[in-house]
Amino acid sequence: MEAGGDAAAPAPGGAQDLEDTQDLEGTQTPREETGDGGVQSGPPDPGDTDPEEAGSQAEDEPPSRLSPLPQSEVLSSTCEHWSSTASDSSPIHGPESDSVGQGGDPSDENWRNQRKHVFVLSEAGKPIYSRYGSVEALSATMGVMTALVSFVQSSGDNIRAIYAEDHKLVFLQQGPLLLVAMSRTPQSAAQLRGELLAVHAQIVSTLTRASVARIFAHKQNYDLRRLLAGSERTLDRLLDNVERDPGALLLGAVRCVPLARPLREALGTLLRRCTAPGLALSVLAVGGRLITAAQERNVLAECRLDPADLQLLLDWVGAPAFAAGEAWAPVCLPRFNPDGFFYAYVARLDSMPVCLLLLGTHREAFHAMAACRRLVEDGMRTLGALRTLGEAANFSDSQAASAPAYSVQAVGAPGLRHFLYKPLDIPDHHRQLPQFTSPELEAPYSREEERQRLSDLYHRLHARLHSASRPLRLIYHVAEKETLLAWVTSKFELYTCLSPLVTKAGAILVVTKLLRWVKKEEDRLFIRCPPKYSTPPAASADQASHNGLFTGL
Amino acid sequence: MRRPDAKVVLLGGASVGKTSLLRRYTERRFSDSVSTVGGAFYLKPWRALHLSLWDTAGREQFHGLGSMYCRGAAAVILTYDVMQPQSLVELEDRFLGLTDSASKDCLFIIAGNKVDLTEQGGEGDGHGPRGPRQVSREDAVALYKKILRYRMVDEKAAPAAEQMCFETSAKTGHNVDLLFETVFDMVVPMVLRQKAEEPVETVDITSQKPPKRTRSGCCT
Repeated sequence: MEAGGDAAAPAPGGAQDLEDTQDLEGTQTPREETGDGGVQSGPPDPGDTDPEEAGSQAEDEPPSRLSPLPQSEVLSSTCEHWSSTASDSSPIHGPESDSVGQGGDPSDENWRNQRKHVFVLSEAGKPIYSRYGSVEALSATMGVMTALVSFVQSSGDNIRAIYAEDHKLVFLQQGPLLLVAMSRTPQSAAQLRGELLAVHAQIVSTLTRASVARIFAHKQNYDLRRLLAGSERTLDRLLDNVERDPGALLLGAVRCVPLARPLREALGTLLRRCTAPGLALSVLAVGGRLITAAQERNVLAECRLDPADLQLLLDWVGAPAFAAGEAWAPVCLPRFNPDGFFYAYVARLDSMPVCLLLLGTHREAFHAMAACRRLVEDGMRTLGALRTLGEAANFSDSQAASAPAYSVQAVGAPGLRHFLYKPLDIPDHHRQLPQFTSPELEAPYSREEERQRLSDLYHRLHARLHSASRPLRLIYHVAEKETLLAWVTSKFELYTCLSPLVTKAGAILVVTKLLRWVKKEEDRLFIRCPPKYSTPPAASADQASHNGLFTGL
Repeated sequence: MRRPDAKVVLLGGASVGKTSLLRRYTERRFSDSVSTVGGAFYLKPWRALHLSLWDTAGREQFHGLGSMYCRGAAAVILTYDVMQPQSLVELEDRFLGLTDSASKDCLFIIAGNKVDLTEQGGEGDGHGPRGPRQVSREDAVALYKKILRYRMVDEKAAPAAEQMCFETSAKTGHNVDLLFETVFDMVVPMVLRQKAEEPVETVDITSQKPPKRTRSGCCT
């Protein structure tokens, strides 16, 4: 099924970037990340809705995939334990995954059939979070995980991952918290680790690392669920998004709302003009996508805002809790400072889905921020921006060029179904705002199972491109229901999903067309010139000189 | 929008129905609401005044912000769940201390929500688990009296407990309007009286001057 082979070079300028991708089947090197993270040799998950498919498909895999387990990563004795558990769970016909897993009893088939479990527990083995099921029922399972971790620790080592048949177990220790992913998705261990890091960041953003550490230093068997109550849904949403709308976490980039450059720049200027005491960061977003952002020089001077923090904020303001009223809540930016809180003002503008986030350092600055919001709102009304953005939010009603979401049809390349494009040729001082663009997921990817399948395919390709031991430049991958082409050059990273009937030459044509389209539209698709930092009246002008650190946003 | 004239704060444990009460009042509907993050601010024009309503998160995670939301509050609506005795206990244990930052003559109102779940709550739609109520009205009245003692207010000078303890249902709308409108109507004369008496007493911390050096300035 893999037509990888000869990597017929797509023409669009950059042939020098191409490398022979080798036959994908031939790359079962006995190295850790390659062996497991690679594109499977069997037909990629045909992705039918039935969870059984995934299970049986995995069983079909040649044993060679499983054998080269790197000794350093695997504890053979415990591996046995897990594989026995895993094989017990041979999938039984069950209802669709989302409605199940309430029980959480490890003997419950529905629970066992979940593709990916994510657990958070304390060092003492106390359950904190489980993606499926109730954590109470999982005490024993979590006890086993703690045992695994401490067993390896006792020999002065750290357990990172276990590969057991079709399952991967990834462990991540963060202070007093232990995060575990147990997955039979095609995600690589590195990708799973990235997901666990995002889960940890989410927890830190509500509690701060310092307070988590303090709590457990004070009382080792503290039940952290008391403090995280209500945040589980946020974690669920984060994990769901990986499968339903891949991109942000996979590419480590934020998605921007396509917007005419003059309007975006005007909005950037507006944000910079509207300041308040202690205001550190202003963000305009709609539906989890960035419109523009401005960072205050006087507060965040010398500091860059990490894209992961920005993504966290974008996810956070998308929470249904912010749908009404003007919210005022503490939030921690784990990459910026995991131990301190900012205070966030969040409001929907003009009852539109457009959301304004004002992040400040003053605990009591609510009214100042509310005043600032009114300035922004007035300014946007003057610009006529709210209407434009409001239209954009209703993708279905408007195919207008200003829509924040766009259809893949806009590219005008028949056969192209979906793509992820992340530019890499951005000027150095913009590098702190990695962005990507992708069209809406439309038919045939409207159903959840289909989206999951596409997400799996993207993850496989990503893992291949970024394999630590044997990175690739270009992959042409013929799957059962689609053909994919992934390509990374010095200028971009691209994942395309094409019709299954496309020929290799056709695929190259489509990609060429797509690249031309992106080039033409890049001013609209991306924030090409992130707004410079605002210079509040009080700040001295001598700092205004260019400094790469300041221009991240 | 002008600065609000007075502040009303909803306090109470997680999932007792603070947001639902407010939604029922403002939007006339009941929907499964999501866990509040931090606090949400609403502006309510009432008679000639603008009242600010703070719907706070009951989760322990946001406890630290509680006293901030309460600062200078004219009224605090302490909310509990009539089916959860613990939620009434929490009001005293966790939330009463937060009201130290409220205004001196702050009004305290106690609202027992979810009466539709009790067997007596006849207005319910007949669905959902019902059971005998777990918290009696007398318990709420006792708490109110305790609060007055805590605040060192003479019981006779304060509004009567019977007047300040409500039993509501955000789901059916039972007593919800009564609760909010009684509170607003009691706040209005307070605000007018204050306005007449003294200039607004708020501390603007944003304009606080940095602490002076210990060495006093001398004429050089």
